[in-house]
Amino acid sequence: MNVVAKPELKSLDDTIRETIYRACLLLDDEKFMEWLALCAPDFSYRITTYSPEIRRPMTWYEQDVAGLKGMIEMLPKHNTDHGRLTRHVTVYAVDSDPARGEAKATSSFACYRTMLDGINSHIDSGETQLFLIGKYYDRFRIDEHGPHFIERNVFLDTRRLDKGSHYPI
Amino acid sequence: MTMLIERMSYDNGEAIPYVDSRIYSDRGIFEEEVEKIWKKVWLVAVHESELPEPLDFRTMTLAREPIVIVRGSDSKLRAFLNVCPHRGNLILRQPSGSLTVGEPSGNANHMTCMFHAWQFDCFGRCVDIPRAKAGYQDRLRKEDIALKQLPCEVAHGGFVWVSLNTKVGPLSEYIGPAFDIMREELDTEPLTIFHYHKAIIPSNYKLWHDTNSEFYHDYMHYFNRATSMQQKGYFERQYTAFPNGHCTVGSMEVKYDAYQGAQDRVLSFPGMPRNGWKMVDLFPGATYNIRGSSLRVDTMTPLGPDRVMIEFRGLGLKRDTPDEQAQRVRDHNTIWGPFGRNLHEDLLGITGQGVGMQPGSTPRRILHGRRENNTIHDEIGMRHFYKEWERRIGRSPNDPFPETQTAAE
Ligand code: FES
Ligand SMILES: [Fe+2]
Repeated sequence: MNVVAKPELKSLDDTIRETIYRACLLLDDEKFMEWLALCAPDFSYRITTYSPEIRRPMTWYEQDVAGLKGMIEMLPKHNTDHGRLTRHVTVYAVDSDPARGEAKATSSFACYRTMLDGINSHIDSGETQLFLIGKYYDRFRIDEHGPHFIERNVFLDTRRLDKGSHYPI
Repeated sequence: MTMLIERMSYDNGEAIPYVDSRIYSDRGIFEEEVEKIWKKVWLVAVHESELPEPLDFRTMTLAREPIVIVRGSDSKLRAFLNVCPHRGNLILRQPSGSLTVGEPSGNANHMTCMFHAWQFDCFGRCVDIPRAKAGYQDRLRKEDIALKQLPCEVAHGGFVWVSLNTKVGPLSEYIGPAFDIMREELDTEPLTIFHYHKAIIPSNYKLWHDTNSEFYHDYMHYFNRATSMQQKGYFERQYTAFPNGHCTVGSMEVKYDAYQGAQDRVLSFPGMPRNGWKMVDLFPGATYNIRGSSLRVDTMTPLGPDRVMIEFRGLGLKRDTPDEQAQRVRDHNTIWGPFGRNLHEDLLGITGQGVGMQPGSTPRRILHGRRENNTIHDEIGMRHFYKEWERRIGRSPNDPFPETQTAAE
């Protein structure tokens, strides 16, 4: 029996997983325009959560591609802290439908903030704090160029974000 | 500057008013504020739409006292101390819910202390003490026990106001005419909540109120520079001061489309021009802020001289369609959500002040001295707050410890 694995074509599910991981690397590196290149022109992005205080679902951020581009272009005009966000992601489930050229994926993520000037840089710079945890609910369209995000719902478990952020998660 | 600033009483109208940084950092002053201010006045607790049904409840902690607000079977809202009269346990533990759901150690429709299962009804009356007769004989009966009830009123846009002071006067007396500027927007028809989030910031609560009480810091917000400061009417916006430390800021028309990607607000409130903007700052720590399509209400819970929790609520009209509400949510969160353009900047501002004036740091002078005929960059709102603070605390904000060291320039 030949036990040496034959090189196989990547499955569609693997490609979806890779696309999600690549998106995280680009977001971690703050290469937002390259991140958007992984998204279809009709991509929609939302950050949502549920408030047990007011017992209602909430949408904390919602943009289409034009809105995201504008937001990214405006970042240098805004004040912010200069901590870096790092996402740790595990893709839990991929459901792809090659016949229809569509796929869905559910991933769990933790997003850490490595502080620079968040509070007092002399003391805090270099410290990493857990910023938030949640799930990515992604949808993809697949064509001859591969998968593109058509939807990302960042569902947050963490609801106390303290000073918040100007960046997509 | 040294020549202009003399040691004199706060805001006497001549020099550059300042406060001593220790009012933002001293532990003793913080404790005095809790006792002399936060436990004495009316505080905004929640919005009525957070507990719409009979037997809905909502919990919170005001000035370290656990409170529960319950909508009675008669639909009336009441506030109680959420502490068990038996051995002091917290009774309701979740932020909100319905008493119609039974607890493992208690019946539905009751507030049950999980510890020894004493049960209370929605009016705060004790309705069950397990083995009461066996343990207390006739020395204590459930009929003699009740949760401590606190003054509670619903007003000013359907907010639920509570005071820890059982001898407090009516809310209308405390507020006076401070809401006149917003009465039509708030009270023509019912409002509903669509947004809630909170932040804990290592800074003093008054620094957040100061931020909400001055617009000079619009230099920090690109969004406001583009859509407001460079627009007609901005520098004519007027501050008006009211008794008990409250103040308001008059309206202007914001040009949202001056910021790339932002749009004019389509929705509004009764009596509010589209794209209008009004504020009411309430002593000691709440702000109502209507910008076009959304009402934002900030409430603060001071946790220490260098720690504050701020809760942010967003509201629209109860009659909004789902699409209209979604539009208000988008408008609100572009600037005011945890990922909004302005709120993050404001919170960073007071975080930095928290570092600059941390407990034990050398006393410094913090300037409150801009005077521009009470218009938008005048610091009258802050000065008005500290006059009320001085009256209630019995210390001068610029010389809080006259017996010791004064603040350096
Ligand atoms: S402490 Fe509440 S029942 Fe004992
Ligand atoms: Fe601001």
